[in-house]
Amino acid sequence: MIYALTVPGAIEDVNEVRVLEWHGQPGHLFAAGELVVELETHKALVEVRAGHAGVLRQILTPEGDWQAVGSALAILSDEPSEPLPESAGDLAAMAVEFEIN
Amino acid sequence: MSSEPPKTSRKLFFREAITRALTEEMANNPKVILLGQDIGKFGGSYKEFVGLIDRFGSTRVLDTPVAEAAMVGLGVGAAAAGLHPLVSITYMDFLMLGLDPLVNYAAKARFKTGGQITVPLVVKTTAGAKGQGVVHSQCIEAWLMAVPGLKVVAPSTAADAYGLMKAALRDPGPVVYVDHKRLFATTGEVPLAETIIPIGQAAIRRTGDDVTIVAHSWMVRIALEAAERLQTEGIGCDVIDLRSLAPLDMATITQSVARTGAMVTVEEGQLTCGVGTEIAFQLREHLENARIARVGALPAPVSSNPLLEAACIPDADRVIGAIRKLLGSNSA
Repeated sequence: MIYALTVPGAIEDVNEVRVLEWHGQPGHLFAAGELVVELETHKALVEVRAGHAGVLRQILTPEGDWQAVGSALAILSDEPSEPLPESAGDLAAMAVEFEIN
Repeated sequence: MSSEPPKTSRKLFFREAITRALTEEMANNPKVILLGQDIGKFGGSYKEFVGLIDRFGSTRVLDTPVAEAAMVGLGVGAAAAGLHPLVSITYMDFLMLGLDPLVNYAAKARFKTGGQITVPLVVKTTAGAKGQGVVHSQCIEAWLMAVPGLKVVAPSTAADAYGLMKAALRDPGPVVYVDHKRLFATTGEVPLAETIIPIGQAAIRRTGDDVTIVAHSWMVRIALEAAERLQTEGIGCDVIDLRSLAPLDMATITQSVARTGAMVTVEEGQLTCGVGTEIAFQLREHLENARIARVGALPAPVSSNPLLEAACIPDADRVIGAIRKLLGSNSA
């Protein structure tokens, strides 16, 4: 199964965030609970952790770039070779909840 | 090869625009020092001082006690003695405690000494309502505009937060730099090149032919929201962002109202002896027939109750209502 990792929300006052650091490159297998990405808001760091095991396939928002709440940051999948979606519209349907703290 | 033109600006959080200005000016000028509550390791209440103590050390970034009169007093003395201090008063409400050194000493020193002593002091402070009740919400910019010798600036964008802070830190002073709690959550493009926004120049944020809206700080965003909505019913608005309250850029305002024939001022502070009152009267001295309306806070303290807070301060609906009334009642 393919998953879209989106900017989690709602965070008070936050419309967009900046990607500080990806904690793995495409191909990396994240274990459940592992830190995937750190995001910056105007006053805090937001840690996004994997809700279950999965492979990071494609980073859509590189470090230093901005993304709006609800928009896609990356694509993950259960298996490393599952075919990726071709359009951004397909991605929206794949958005799942990630754990943030 | 990419054919995109090289970027000339970079998106920053509002707080980062302030941090960048402070960093550049402190690096350029060893006389610039910072005094404030929790501006050291904690990085400031809005994180606008993050990293400065690590770079410039605790002799130039000084955490102070909660003692605003002493903080401003120390800043005035240090400035008169040759430094260029910035004193951070986190909430504008508590600048009241520092008004004696600011008004009676800093603003008057140049006049009293025939120019022998200047006070290149910047007081940075945060105004505005955002859920913090009666003594952490006030906008008292208009009080300060009435003090001869004091300059007052109030940015509404990240680029101006950067450029006006740089101007303030190079000004013979004293300058009060007013930001707003709600601006810290915003982002904006800031020029990559070192840029100074001269004190005393307003900016035109939007153009339209029917009415001029004049605002500063967070209320510029409310004015732009109102203008956007009025456009759909065929009413075009000039939106002027004052940026500087003292001195006022009356030339830009007058030029705009000479064309539109009508002006609505919008402020989060009180209307009585407010920013809009002053602008309205000065405008009338140039344009006798201009139609004028003012929008400001209701004459009550800002409540901690979010519904009452929202009822007290202007929103786009109130601005739109004031503009419709002004245009409707006077148009032939």
